[in-house]
Amino acid sequence: MAAVATEVVTPTRMELLKLKHRVNLAQRGHDLLKEKMDALIIEFFEVLRRIGEARKSALKQLSLAYRALSVCSAVMGTIETRQASREAKRELEVEISTRHIMGIVVPTLEVERVERDALTRGYSLHTTPSVLDEVSKEFEKALGLLVKLAELEESARAIARELERTKRRVNALEYILIPRLKAALKFIEMRLDEMERENFSRLKRIKAMLEAGA
Amino acid sequence: MNVDRVLKFELSRLNVHLPERRISLKEALESTKPQVATRDGSIHRFKREELDLLAKTVPEADWGRLHLPILIALDPKLGRGVARITGGAEAKVVGQILGKKSTGEELLIYRPEVAVVRRKLPTTTQYFFVPG
Amino acid sequence: MSYKVAVIGDADTVTGFALSGVSYTYVHADKDRTLAKLAEFMVSEEVGLVFITHRIAEEIGAEFRRMMRAKKLLPVVLRIPDFKTGYIPVVDELYELIKRTVGAEIVVRAEEG
Repeated sequence: MAAVATEVVTPTRMELLKLKHRVNLAQRGHDLLKEKMDALIIEFFEVLRRIGEARKSALKQLSLAYRALSVCSAVMGTIETRQASREAKRELEVEISTRHIMGIVVPTLEVERVERDALTRGYSLHTTPSVLDEVSKEFEKALGLLVKLAELEESARAIARELERTKRRVNALEYILIPRLKAALKFIEMRLDEMERENFSRLKRIKAMLEAGA
Repeated sequence: MNVDRVLKFELSRLNVHLPERRISLKEALESTKPQVATRDGSIHRFKREELDLLAKTVPEADWGRLHLPILIALDPKLGRGVARITGGAEAKVVGQILGKKSTGEELLIYRPEVAVVRRKLPTTTQYFFVPG
Repeated sequence: MSYKVAVIGDADTVTGFALSGVSYTYVHADKDRTLAKLAEFMVSEEVGLVFITHRIAEEIGAEFRRMMRAKKLLPVVLRIPDFKTGYIPVVDELYELIKRTVGAEIVVRAEEG
């Protein structure tokens, strides 16, 4: 498909050199961005693979936790269970930092020792039925897995966004800018050739006239 | 020309995720918050599991020589799908992880191997785009 | 930096998470009030992670999606299945994201290989 040179270019040697430089720059940029795109695709598929696994284990554990909660409500009573949850120690902290993947910043999440012992949970072992302790334990495990999943899902979204952007840039270069520059380059080269030929034949005519006159 | 400006902008952003200064494995292991400051002013944290893996793979005498993050250089001149690891200690440990021999200060690896390295060391390796 | 965790769900879901140490809980009653509470969590400097159930996120609808698109790095928001129904949407938003980003054919290839 022929790209139309929509740039106004004066056919001079100077312009030719400038254009050649621009084509090289655009070509180099295109190659680099394509490498970035390939690398982002690797990252994307890897994080998706991990999400698949993380989701499975998180959901499995969450089901166990919900089941433990059912059992507890049945044994202790729903109201009492909820009351206990209000009295429990609720100071869980998640350590959040950042990591970088090629121009995108992504959060990292870590929970220190989610699984606490009964004392830290805020209620006494003696007066608390083991069913309640079970609920805490199972939910603590679930929380650990969900925190990991949260980090992965957030990363996936960020990578996808950057991948789409990079793809758009690569395509703009490959299908718009570079063909346009190359067409303008061709136009100038042709014009310069033409001008040189015109010049050459004009000189020949002048020479012939001079020789005829002499 | 709008695309030109966009291109220049994207190219200037290519390596902005890299740190001003890398730290050695030894420094990272000794720190309670193993991380580096990146060129765009934020923090890149190294995950402990990866540092432990590296500590197991690299002899302790070399912990000061291995610098993090390990750079996976992408140079269009190498051709698409080829990456380069520079640095003796870095090339050695990547070679070990991939189960291939590395001699000298440089190691060339191919796309599927890059994927393996990134999978095992997601925060302790980074891509480096060679502007050339 | 250390942050606290928040959860928005039905009474049972919220109870369970409270028992694991989650600091901020909110039981969903109606769309408007839950949206307000979510907005509160989103701007809170203390909250770094918010769990919200799929059902409630869907009920809030377009407003929720808009908040997610506009949000900065923190807090991280994760949708989870709830206690009563264990509901997870049939249309997996992440799957749709993949298809949009790399194209359906690559997804098929990835599934096979």
